[in-house]
Amino acid sequence: MNSAQIEIQLIASLVAIACAIPGTFLVLRKMAMISDAISHSILPGIVIGFFITQDLNSPLLILLAAFTGIITVVLVEYIQKTGLVKEDTAIGLVFPALFSIGVILIAKNANDVHLDVDAVLLGELAFAPFDRLFIGGTDVGPKSLWIIGSILITTIGLLLAFFKELKLSTFDKGLAASLGFSPAIIHYGLMSVASVTTVGAFDAVGAILVVALMIAPAATAYLLTTDLKKMLGLAIGFGVLSAISGYWFAHWLDASIAGSITTMLGFIFLIVFLFAPSKGIIAVMYREKQQRTEVSLLTFLLHLKNHTEERERHVNHLQEHINWQKVRAKTVLDLALKNNMIVFNKNIVSLTEKGDTFTSKAIDYIITNEDAQIEDMKEDFFLFRG
Amino acid sequence: MKEQSQNKETPTYSGVLAVKVDDLTVAYNYKPVLWDIDLEIPEGVLMAIVGPNGAGKSTLIKSILGILKPIAGSVSIYGKPYDKQRKLVAYVPQKGSVDWDFPTTALDVVMMGTYGSLGWIKRPKQKEKKAALEALEKVGMLAFKSRQISQLSGGQQQRIFLARALVQNASIYFMDEPFQGVDATTEIAIINILKELRKAGKTVIVVHHDLQTVPEYFDWVTFLNVKKIATGPVKDIFNDDNLTKTYGINYKVSIQE
Ligand SMILES: Nc1ncnc2c1ncn2[C@@H]1O[C@H](COP(=O)(O)OP(=O)(O)OP(=O)(O)O)[C@@H](O)[C@H]1O
Ligand SMILES: [Mg+2]
Repeated sequence: MNSAQIEIQLIASLVAIACAIPGTFLVLRKMAMISDAISHSILPGIVIGFFITQDLNSPLLILLAAFTGIITVVLVEYIQKTGLVKEDTAIGLVFPALFSIGVILIAKNANDVHLDVDAVLLGELAFAPFDRLFIGGTDVGPKSLWIIGSILITTIGLLLAFFKELKLSTFDKGLAASLGFSPAIIHYGLMSVASVTTVGAFDAVGAILVVALMIAPAATAYLLTTDLKKMLGLAIGFGVLSAISGYWFAHWLDASIAGSITTMLGFIFLIVFLFAPSKGIIAVMYREKQQRTEVSLLTFLLHLKNHTEERERHVNHLQEHINWQKVRAKTVLDLALKNNMIVFNKNIVSLTEKGDTFTSKAIDYIITNEDAQIEDMKEDFFLFRG
Repeated sequence: MKEQSQNKETPTYSGVLAVKVDDLTVAYNYKPVLWDIDLEIPEGVLMAIVGPNGAGKSTLIKSILGILKPIAGSVSIYGKPYDKQRKLVAYVPQKGSVDWDFPTTALDVVMMGTYGSLGWIKRPKQKEKKAALEALEKVGMLAFKSRQISQLSGGQQQRIFLARALVQNASIYFMDEPFQGVDATTEIAIINILKELRKAGKTVIVVHHDLQTVPEYFDWVTFLNVKKIATGPVKDIFNDDNLTKTYGINYKVSIQE
């Protein structure tokens, strides 16, 4: 690896971390769309900032553009508050309007502005190492690295300071308000961080990748944990993993880095969506199947318990009586046998002592729904999980 | 109205006002849903707020707590505006007002009750955790402390929110329908905790829908339907006349058997 390659991966990873942090809260607040809106509507801010500063990396430009992001949020909320349209409609009204102002400004001043819309939307990570920062004549590294690095440090500082407030106001706005943690301040704080991150990152990675890096890792992490801190950690991990694997994928294909990172984000999400241990669709399907079998098992055991007559407990009779297909009946019988709940005696099935206790306990649970019982039984039995 | 036999432990009131609401008018989108409410709640009462769906009960509580901004009127808690008295007040919201799929555990939710006394930036420590565990114990939910909250039943969720209010260690408790969707055992467990709070001199204000149990559970009642219909001791004002005025239909209290 040469130093440019390392720098590109470093920038991509820092952007991923800086995006995953506000992204986690945006996902939990069901505001994924607003980050899309911000990423587009900062365009006029960038153009105007560029007229003033003539430097795409100037901090003033970043602040101006981030301010456009905040204006977007305010406008969306204002339109929504009129009660005439819903939030998604309000977002759909605001950001194309602001974005098109940016496009027109660029077109009108094409001669003075070395900026094109594609570059804003897609960015070009591969060029990031060439725009370097010199302090007193010494090369201290790529400018984007410094910009995104400072944004990341600020974000982490804010996260550490206000984690509790963010968590509370995201989970329960009402309680936050009544305890004196103004949800509005926290909301606009989060929006400001999202806006500044978007602007700071767009030059290197483009507005679209910024959105993907905010939403996809957080959405992936959400499927894997029920702990907010772990969700943040996982989101950061997935972001960095996509950034680095995406870089090498692009290298191998000789394709756009931003595009490859986005592909990786989508790919990782898909894998987790399928295979996540408790929320993944395969796990859900497996659990449903398992539960069906267990309900059948219980029905079967109950039947045995309720009927002392041998006629009712003959293997053949069971099949026609309980009216199951062969396969199903066999699965249930096997499961019961495996757990030592039944014994066969000349084709007559009877409950073992264990099977008998288990059945009584299960009935008890179903009738009384006592919490204490469910806690023990969860260990043995899928049925009572979740 | 027939003689009532409720409230064996007749509470003693100090005569101090815990909450005072003056000329409160609250509107959503300029449509007033509470008109000109005057309300005085003495310290130490266990009070029910009753009224039909949409009467503005939740709105009244949210306005007292500063969650909603009234278009007119004022609220004071022990003589001072709410902003200055936050730490004296705890609130259990109506069910369904939070995101149940939020990645957080029962213990974590209860800990949130301690955030108010911590203030900005400071993080909960061992002491807060201990208080939260004690509150969980009190509502009989200690075994569930590590459960993600969506994996709790409705009644269990309600208990968690009660525990969260308990750790706030407040003087005034507002609860919006704490008995909604809970079974008889949980209801009794909750009301016992509320009575204990009253015994400790706290003021407890509960939005309540089950009119049958008002005389048994509460000593004070406020009838609300957009306007305040009546407020006072249950034994004096919980009668057919006020119920009819509040619910519109001809209401008969045929329940004291
Ligand atoms: N966010 C809101 N925006 C607009 N109108 C609202 C909003 N919340 C409540 N309302 C309206 O205000 C009125 C009072 O609502 P509130 O929730 O205070 O009633 P409530 O007495 O608590 O009813 P319930 O018994 O159903 O809980 C209702 O007519 C309701 O439709
Ligand atoms: Mg209500």
